[in-house]
Amino acid sequence: MNYMPGTASLIEDIDKKHLVLLRDGRTLIGFLRSIDQFANLVLHQTVERIHVGKKYGDIPRGIFVVRGENVVLLGEIDLEKESDTPLQQVSIEEILEEQRVEQQTKLENEKIKVQALKDRGLSIPRADTLDEY
Amino acid sequence: MLGKLRGRKNGIFTKSHNEDITLIGKSLEDCPLDEDEDAFQGLGEEDEEIDQFNDDTFGSGAVDDDWQEAHERLAELEEKLPAAVNEQTGNGERDEMDLLGDHEENLAESLSKMVIENELEDPAIMRAVQTRPVLQPQPGGLNSSIWDGSEVLRRIRGPLLAQEMPTVSVLEYALPQRPPQGPEDDRDLSERALPRRSTSPIIGSPPVRAVPIGTPPKQMAVPSYNQQILCPKPVHVRPPMPPRYPAPYGERMSPNQLCNVPNSSLLGHPFPPSVPPVLSPLQRAQLLGGAQLQPGRMSPSQFARVPGFVGSPLAAMNPKLLQGRVGQMLPPAPSFRAFFSAPPPATPPPPQQHPPGPGPLVQNLRQHRNLNGAGDRGSHRNSHQDHLRKDPYANLMLQREKDWVSKIQMMQLQSTDPYLDDFYYQNYFEKLEKLSAAEEIQGDGPKKERTKLITPQVAKLEHAYKPVQFEGSLGKLTVSSVNNPRKMIDAVVTSRSEDDETREKQVRDKRRKTLVIIEKTYSLLLDVEDYERRYLLSLEEDRPALMDERKHKICSMYDNLRGKLPGQERPSDDHFVQIMCIRKGKRMVARILPFLSTEQAADILMTTARNLPFLIKKDAQDEVLPCLLSPFSHLLYHLPSVTVTSLLQQLMNLPQSAAAPAPSNPHLTTVLQNKFGLSLLLLVLSRGEDLQSSDPAAESMENNQWMQVMFMATRELLRIPQAALAKPVSIPTNLVSLFSRYVDRQKLNLLETKLQLVQGIR
Repeated sequence: MNYMPGTASLIEDIDKKHLVLLRDGRTLIGFLRSIDQFANLVLHQTVERIHVGKKYGDIPRGIFVVRGENVVLLGEIDLEKESDTPLQQVSIEEILEEQRVEQQTKLENEKIKVQALKDRGLSIPRADTLDEY
Repeated sequence: MLGKLRGRKNGIFTKSHNEDITLIGKSLEDCPLDEDEDAFQGLGEEDEEIDQFNDDTFGSGAVDDDWQEAHERLAELEEKLPAAVNEQTGNGERDEMDLLGDHEENLAESLSKMVIENELEDPAIMRAVQTRPVLQPQPGGLNSSIWDGSEVLRRIRGPLLAQEMPTVSVLEYALPQRPPQGPEDDRDLSERALPRRSTSPIIGSPPVRAVPIGTPPKQMAVPSYNQQILCPKPVHVRPPMPPRYPAPYGERMSPNQLCNVPNSSLLGHPFPPSVPPVLSPLQRAQLLGGAQLQPGRMSPSQFARVPGFVGSPLAAMNPKLLQGRVGQMLPPAPSFRAFFSAPPPATPPPPQQHPPGPGPLVQNLRQHRNLNGAGDRGSHRNSHQDHLRKDPYANLMLQREKDWVSKIQMMQLQSTDPYLDDFYYQNYFEKLEKLSAAEEIQGDGPKKERTKLITPQVAKLEHAYKPVQFEGSLGKLTVSSVNNPRKMIDAVVTSRSEDDETREKQVRDKRRKTLVIIEKTYSLLLDVEDYERRYLLSLEEDRPALMDERKHKICSMYDNLRGKLPGQERPSDDHFVQIMCIRKGKRMVARILPFLSTEQAADILMTTARNLPFLIKKDAQDEVLPCLLSPFSHLLYHLPSVTVTSLLQQLMNLPQSAAAPAPSNPHLTTVLQNKFGLSLLLLVLSRGEDLQSSDPAAESMENNQWMQVMFMATRELLRIPQAALAKPVSIPTNLVSLFSRYVDRQKLNLLETKLQLVQGIR
């Protein structure tokens, strides 16, 4: 049954593997089991995938219920093409470590930038102190 | 009425000291017991209101006798329970076992005691029930909640549960409690987020349900059961944590169906040795289901099956589960049959997932299937299962749920004017349709069926908004709402005198004015573009009016572009040039041109040509001028020779008379160095040539003029140093023949090279 052709109704996507990007930056991969009119999602056998550079790591999470407003985008994963990626899967510990290192370098760069601006008498408020919207 | 109320009130007052009863309304509390008639009557009116608010106590929800007696019984229970509890905690399993016994009478009695009433789903009552002192230490010190039903009610025997057994109670499906996290924390990160679910019968966590709360029963169970089987020996089941199996929940399964228990003790008689003992906690919970509720306290849902109720699709004894990754969980044949009074599903043994050795199991299932003869539901399943073969979790979302969501989505698409509300979608699909129509004409194959979404059309309703009016108020009170917004700021437009402003401000204001004009003209343009569609949709009599409107708007647009300055013979170019300096203005002009009359459009073109260097300079960043080429070229085909001649003159900034000395021509240089300029020039030349060649014999004034201009033009072109010429959009083919008229061979070659007119020279 062809549900609402030409639209983004998620009904046709049910029971398929999806990649969901959330507003907080997380990437979830799971089987879309249920939806509702707000595009709240129920993901099954969900895995949170962390990407750092060319590596990625998966953390199995089980069942996720995602509130629709927090979804940035989602797309179906082609199960056949899923495995040919140039990315390299690593263990969870390793990817978390990499992520930590990445965050650290970012913070340090940010600090240097802020310091440089301060030296020149400028100040740019940090993003988290600004209103999100 | 009053008398009745009074009676009730009296009743309440006698119970007023019972903390379980919540008194509503201050008046009641304040009233002394022996109030007089007057006060009573006064309260009578208030009672009506109180009545409304509190149905449970005063209104239809309460039946006098019941609650009073019920509460009395509750009070009795309070005394009874401490004794009972000691027994329970002490002997636990055996006790309960005795309780249930094998006798039918005991069974029935315990049935009536343990089954949860509908009434008790009322949270108010549940709360009341729970305010009783906690008689038994809660496991892990967790607080009671309304989901503790099974435990709390366990203590309450007797009168509360006098009713018939309900189908399925909410409490039955309650979530299990979180057991206290032991020191068995697994460092296995895959288990990081997963909750541990204990299904210990001692703790009495309610069974974990695979079927969501509120799933309507699917089938009626045939009541036939073996009592012996239904009295499982309670066992403290603490499942081992690793190795973990992914919980293979079948679809639409209830744990009760899967009471094929690996643990022999649970069923009270020996199991075949082939049964594997290892299960994940959740699976076990599912399997054991009601049997794990409480030692000896069987799941009411099991009993529910007995009298013919169906808790959940027992029938969905999913063989997949059994054949699943967990391994074999084989029910012993006799017990299985006996245990499940409801017919198992008619699902065929799925061909997928074949772990070794489910053969006998499958046979069992088939037997049972045949036995109970339930088939209708299974057949739906078959086709679906084939469809989603390898996915045991498919179709968790039911068809009707999908329909429900899509219905909501369709409702959201209701629109009185889809073209207005959903412009891009409509446009996109129109384009697609045109494409497919075009393909269909070209191609010979059958048209690819493209299902189109038909959105519900809703008739336009005229709403006349009337602001709310209060009765009895003097004058009109203005209440501000979303439909009737209040004016926040009285913004007054003050016109400033020229002297006050600085130069910059003037420039800024001028620019702003231009922007406003562009916006207004753009709105007009969109309306004009829309007229075609409206024309098609409109009725016959409306059409002339539409046409008039359209013409009027076009005139307005032109006026806007050229700057309406009555009294001036020829409006200055300034206005137009200002518009053309802005990117949006240029694009807008390009869109307007097709709607203008030839004279008007020619005028625009001339003005552009006149001011081209300036415009080119201003366009350096945007580079939008080439968008004008297409409408200009269309226009050119309609222009007479005279116009073309003068156009060429303007474009190249040629002196009026041929005799005048030719100064250096930066105008031309700029034009030639710009893509748009060069392309336009070539177009004009080409057009002239066309005109010329189409009418060779006529020695008209125009022709003469043209030739003169051409001579000058070629002279100029030759003169110009070969700077970096722009790359024109397209080079008309007749230019060589054009130039050949006016120059000799040698110069022709020069021209060709310079202007790169010949193909191949790049």
